[in-house]
Order: sequence, then structure tokens, then C-alpha cells
Amino acid sequence: MNRNVLWKIALILGVLAVFTIAIIPTKSNPQPIKQGLDLKGGIHLKMRVNVNEATRLEVDQAMNSMRTQATTQKLPVPNARRVNDTTFIASPPAGVPTDAYERIASDYLPSFAMTRVTDGLQFVLKPTAVTQLQHDTIDQAVEAIRRRVDNLGVTEPIIVPEGEDRIVIQLPGVDDPSRVKEIIKTTAQLQFRLVEGGTHPTAQAATDAIPANLRDQVDVLPIDKEDAVGRITGTEYVAVQKNVPVSGRDLKTARTQKGQTGGPVIEFTLTPEGGPKFGALTRANVKRQLAIVLDNRVISAPVIDEEIPNGQGIIRGNFTVQSATDLALMLRSGSLPASLTTLEERTVGPSLGRDSIRQGVYASVAGFLLLIVAILLYYKGAGVNAVLALLLNLVILLGVMAYFGFTLTLPGIAGIILTLGMAVDSNVLVFERIREEMREGKTARASIEQGFSRAFATIIDTHLTTIISALFLFQFGTGPIKGFAVTLLVGLGASVFTAFFVSRMIFDIVYKSTDRGKELSI
Amino acid sequence: MQIFKDPNYDFIKYRWHAVVISALIIAAGIAIFVTQGINLGVDFAGGANIILKFKDPVPLSKLRSDLPDATIQQYGREQERQILIRLPQQKSEGDYAGAIVDKLHTDMNPEGATKHDLNFQGSDKLAGLLMQIDPDARGTNPNAELHYRDMARKIIAKRSELGIFTNMQQATSTEGMTTGVVRVLNEKTFLGKFNMLNQETVGPQVGKELQGKAIWAILASSIAMGLYIWFRFDLAFGVAAIICIIHDVLIAMSFLLFLRLEFSLNIVAALLTIVGYSVNDTVVTYDRVRENKRKIKKSMSLGEHLNLAMNQTLSRTILTAGSVFLVLLALLIFGGEVIRGFSWILTIGVISGTYSTLLIVPAVAVAWERFKPAKPSAVARVEPRAEMPARKRKAS
Repeated sequence: MNRNVLWKIALILGVLAVFTIAIIPTKSNPQPIKQGLDLKGGIHLKMRVNVNEATRLEVDQAMNSMRTQATTQKLPVPNARRVNDTTFIASPPAGVPTDAYERIASDYLPSFAMTRVTDGLQFVLKPTAVTQLQHDTIDQAVEAIRRRVDNLGVTEPIIVPEGEDRIVIQLPGVDDPSRVKEIIKTTAQLQFRLVEGGTHPTAQAATDAIPANLRDQVDVLPIDKEDAVGRITGTEYVAVQKNVPVSGRDLKTARTQKGQTGGPVIEFTLTPEGGPKFGALTRANVKRQLAIVLDNRVISAPVIDEEIPNGQGIIRGNFTVQSATDLALMLRSGSLPASLTTLEERTVGPSLGRDSIRQGVYASVAGFLLLIVAILLYYKGAGVNAVLALLLNLVILLGVMAYFGFTLTLPGIAGIILTLGMAVDSNVLVFERIREEMREGKTARASIEQGFSRAFATIIDTHLTTIISALFLFQFGTGPIKGFAVTLLVGLGASVFTAFFVSRMIFDIVYKSTDRGKELSI
Repeated sequence: MQIFKDPNYDFIKYRWHAVVISALIIAAGIAIFVTQGINLGVDFAGGANIILKFKDPVPLSKLRSDLPDATIQQYGREQERQILIRLPQQKSEGDYAGAIVDKLHTDMNPEGATKHDLNFQGSDKLAGLLMQIDPDARGTNPNAELHYRDMARKIIAKRSELGIFTNMQQATSTEGMTTGVVRVLNEKTFLGKFNMLNQETVGPQVGKELQGKAIWAILASSIAMGLYIWFRFDLAFGVAAIICIIHDVLIAMSFLLFLRLEFSLNIVAALLTIVGYSVNDTVVTYDRVRENKRKIKKSMSLGEHLNLAMNQTLSRTILTAGSVFLVLLALLIFGGEVIRGFSWILTIGVISGTYSTLLIVPAVAVAWERFKPAKPSAVARVEPRAEMPARKRKAS
């Protein structure tokens, strides 16, 4: 046996060893090949971030600062109204020149483009500002979701922005989909706002109770109605100031505690900036009600007994242990900058995944055995060769999946079986060619030589065309389909290697150029 | 062993028969498409798919009255007690399937208001319940959470193994349970009517996008194939390859319609695979034609060349199709419900791919040679004379 052949054997054994090690489960790595959501169970979500809420908020803030600046500069307060999510019009009282307001705009509203219209000044959020805001909103949302998911202890989550306003979230192994979806979707915008007046049975009654001139400074929000022993009996409404002196952004941490009555409460600590703000708010408003607002619903409205100087407090509400834990988690992780809308949701329960694995394994084993029997029956001695090539193909395919962290899905398993079926093609092409050459009366050695070299171009062509279609598949597909494309691509690569290198080498060893008379078993 | 000993079939002769058969199948497919429409899956039509596994026989009539606009059918074998609920497209975006599953759960499990449903909830919620009750008196020990999480995971893993718990004994006999946890299971939990195996919602927007993407992917990959063949061989073969791909995709789609299979993302994956496979066979034939042209000195028509090459590669064509067919058979039998449609379409694609390579491709290549614009290619120079009389006979 010459040195060349020894080299090849060493290389092939090396490849075999490296990839076998990669796919053997160990204690530290019990699942060497990553399983897709359809096998492992889990949630796939495609969400739209309603970025228009962020621009609307920007417009609202701009209108506010226009009013405040007018007041500080002793100008008549203009009538500002929002036209759409990016536009508002500020109309000064009749007869007042607009110059002063234009100065305010150029000083304080740099991200708005101003034009004069018949009833005042129109402000439009500049396109660059809109884009920036959208980017920031998506980034913040991704970050907040990531922190929440991390806090939930989900391993290997995928959270990525997609397109202009979407986020794709994949959470493998999650088996409480409704809870996780709730935690992801809740905006969890926490606000501390002062209450005006008392609670009322309807929103209209709550509004009517506020003096007319103050109505545009309050929001009427729902609150749980409780009976004497704290059971929820319905919904009431309460007016709270629009002004938000302290919000979730000032929060440093939050965690659940057992309250005095036994029910869970949320204990929070404010940031070094938030603490003094909260201190000032509570000092100035002792004996008033402070509403704790979560996503535009008042969860409780305690009376401020005294100043709270240390930036620590407790939120009471109608919590269960679970809801309190979840809320604390969301508050710790930060709020979403805008609400989310579900565009696509796919949840696979763990049972179905387990079924799929079982079926996939059965199908693979059955398919593989059928192939082996067929090849051995048809090609006899050379068939052993093809089977060995096929086995190595499988090991390389799985090994590459493990090394590069490619995800195995159910269609991916189908892809593996299919690739094996197709990998036989390379062997068939070569073997049929060898048979033809033998029919023309060539020796075993010469037939092998010719067979391989003639089949080469064909095999490259057939593989390339399949690779082209697999690439389109990869480009098109999501999740499970991508898994299919991946196994197809890797399998095709492995098949070229095994057909030309491994199968060839085995022939070379068995039919050395020296023994001319040897019969070729094919 | 050998299937064919020196085959010498005249494939070109039978090409018109094949064209007629294919045309009939595709026409039947189009007829069904026009009269009954295509069974669009949730991926493209939007809406929701829900698969539930029931503890007892499926309360079909209750489900049908609860969900009047849903299509409800058995999923898998009858003794598995699984159903597939298909809900039509909603106007607005949102978590449709989740909402329906939650509503069904509340409706069918009145105990759920006070007790924890062991068949429906996952390990997180179960761990939450155990931590709240703390039956093993672990207190605020930091390991307490780990302890209960581990218990909850074991119980849910056993449920996944079984599909659903049919009696409490199955849950309480889970390995490693403490007496405290068993007490909680018996007192605070119950076995709900069903377990959710799978739920999918595709909103109107995503459904539309996926439709566009699927059509684009199939068209683009077909054209890419044609371009590759044109580049490697010549234009006539490229055109024949594209028509052959379209033929195979149409035949597969026709069978999809005959079998009333659902058109889903998986089916598109199968079609794209067919595109690759179908060209594979064609490439092998073309390669042989090219090689023969170099080797054989005497003048032969394109038809004769194709015939020779196809006969030379016939064993390979049949063997490869056979081996792919074998593994697809295994997929069809053992692969399970999720990829059944996918396996069917691939199987049909492989059969149709082999058939079209042998009979349709030569028909198209020969026809193209005859009707193409005057500028002759290398193949055309030797070919038209031999083919002309054949066509005249046909026409008269």
C-alpha cells in the first residue's frame, strides 16, 4: 500500500473521529445537535411593535413643552391639538402674532418641521426623527423582551428585529405558552400619578366630577372595585392627573414580598435620581391619594401618609403569587416603549415534539435499512463500499450540524433521509459507469479509473443544481423549512466528499493496480 | 444484479403519448382548482390551527357548537383522541389560537377556577403552585425553588411522554416525588379534559407575505436552474429543463388537489426539492449527450442523441429514483402526521421527475430545436433534416 493511500485513510479516519466525537452526547452537552422548536417544543412569535405610539408620545410631549414654554415666557397659552401620529397644530389666541411661538419652536422643538397654516403653526415630526425614533423603539423593545425572557430562565432564546417594525421571538422548551406570551406582550408602563376626586361607577361620572377647566389635565382610568373584604366586584373609574412625576423608568428593582395580610405585594426601590423625585412628590402631597397606574389601569391608589424619603415603597393590588412575581419581573426588566401586536404565533407542545422525534427516528432508521439492503442486493461487493460511504456521509452530516450549531427540525430529519437517498445517486452514477467500462472489456482497475473520472462532471452538475434549489429554499424558509434546507446543503457537500474520496479509496485498496486478474464485484 | 441488459427503448417515439397524459393530469388538476379551489393551509390563508389531545373520547358535538365556523377533524389514529381545529382568517391581527384554546379550556374545565390543571398547564406554573404551598417545608431556602422546579419538570416530562395523563396515579407515581408533592397533586390539581399539542396563528399580513414569498421562491429557483443548464449546456436544454420543472411542479400540485392535501409551507419546501431533483435527472442525460457528441463521429439527430443517452443512463435513473423512493416510503409510513403531505408530494415529485426526464424533456428539447429562431446552434446543425419528416407525418 503506497503512501498516498495511507494519507487518505488517515484523513478519512480523522474526519470520522472528529465528527463522531461531535455527535456523542456527554454530561456537559447532553444534546449535541440543537433541536428546533418543532422537536423540542416552544414558541415562535412574530410581533409588530406599534411604533406609531412612540411618535404620538413625542408629539404629545412637544405640545406640552410648547404650552409650558408659553407659560414661562408669559405668552398666552396656545391651543395645541394633535392631527395625526406625527403632526400637531398650535393655534395662538386670535390676534396674537405667531413670532414668539416660532422662536419657542426653533429653540425647543428641533425635531419638528414648522409651517404656517391658516389657524396657526403646523408641526410635523421630521422623517429622520421618525426613523430614529422607530429604531430606538424597536431596540428598546428587543432589549426589554430579552431581559424579561432572561429573567424567566429560557435558555437559548432568539429575539431579533425584522424589517421596519417587527420582532421575531423564538423560545425553545417553553411549556406555559399563555403565561410567557403575557409576560412578553404586557407593556408594563408603571406610573405614579396624583388622584383628583374620588372613584365613580362610570367614566362619564368621573369626568363630570372634575371642574370643566381642569378636564384637559386629567385622564379617567379604570380601577378594580372591591367590597369590604377585598374581593373584586367590578370596575370603577377615577380621574388622575396627566402629569407623571415618577414612572417605571425611575425604578431600580422590584420583587415580591408577603404583605401584612398574607397576600403578595411588590416591593420596589427607586434609582438615585428617582428617589428624591418620589420624596418631593410625597412631601408635597401628604394625605392625598397617589394612583399607581400600570398600562392605563390603576392597580391601587393608596393615601400618602407621610413623606417617603428613601426611595423605597410597596405596591399593593389584587395579586396572586404568580401575577405578582410576573409583574415584579416585568418591572425589573423595564417597560416596552410601545405595545406589541401578534402577527404570527406558533406553539408546539412538548408532547407533539416528542412524537415527532420518535417518528423521525423510526423513519430514518427504516429508510436507511431499506437503502442498505437494496444497495447490497444490487451491487454486492461494491455495495459494501457504497454503504460505508453512506454511513460516513451520515456521520459528517450530523457532525457538521453539531459543530456549527445548526438546528435540526422535523423537515430537517426528512432532509437527512432524502439526502441519503440522493447520496446513493453519486455511487450509482459511478458504479453504473464502471459496469459500462467493464462491458467494453476493460480491466477492473481501468474500469474503476474511467468510471470515477467520467462520472465526476455529472456528479458535480447534479449536486450544483440541487444546491441551487436548496439555497432558494433556505432564503425562502423560516424555522423548520430552513432546517430542511440546511440538512440538504450539508448532506450534499458530504455526499461529494464521500463519493469521490471514500468510495474511491476503498476501491483503490481492494483492487490494487498490481492484481490485474482480480474479479470486480459490482 | 442488473435491471436492464443493454436497453434500447425508443423514448422519443412515445413523447406525444406522454405529453397527452401529462396534459390530461394537469387539466384535471386545473379543473379541480377552478371548481373546488385549493385547500390553502393556515400558513397562506391565515387563521388558526389548533391540535388538542383529549383524555376521554373527543366531545365533537360540543366543540362543533362552541366553534361554529371551525373545521374540526380527527388528527392521527382514532384511539389517539387527537383533533385538528382549523379556524378561518380573522380580520384583525392578534393571538387568535391562544385565545380560542384558553376559552375552550375555561369552558370545558370548570374545576380550573379553583384548581391547577395538570394536563394543560406547563412546568412553570406547576412549579409556581408548589412554591406557593411549599409542601416540603423548604421555606425561603434558595434551593427551594430549584427543588420544586425539578419536581414540576419531571411531572410534565412524564406527561409529554404519555401525551396526556388519564389518571392521577400516573402523575403521582412519577419518579422522585416527595409525599408532600403527591399530596399537593391530589388536593390542588386535577386532570383537565385536554392537552394542547400545537397551536398556530397566522395573521392576515403574514399570510399574504408568505404567499408572495412562496411563489417567488418557486419561480426564481426554476429560472435559476434553467440559466444554469443554459450556461452549462445550451439554450434548448435550458428551456427544456425549465418546462420540465414547471411540468413536475404542476403534476405534483395536481396530485395535491386530487388528494385534497393542504397547501402549506412544508409543501412549498417539497416543491422546491422537486425542482432540484427533477433537474438532477435531466442533467445526467444532458451530460451523456454532450459526451457522446464528442465521442461519436457519425451525424445523429438530437432525438437520436437523447435516445442513446437515456438508454445508457436508464439503470442509473431507475436506481436513483428507486432509492429515493425507498426512503420516501419510510417517511410516508413512519414519518407521522406532521410531514405526511410533504412526503406525499415528494414521492409524487420523484415519480413525475423520472417520467418527465425520460419522456417530457426530449419532447420539449426536440420541439424547441424545430421551432426556435433561425440562428442555428451546434446541435441544430445536425438535427432538423432527420426530424422534419416525422412532423409532417404527424400533421397529415
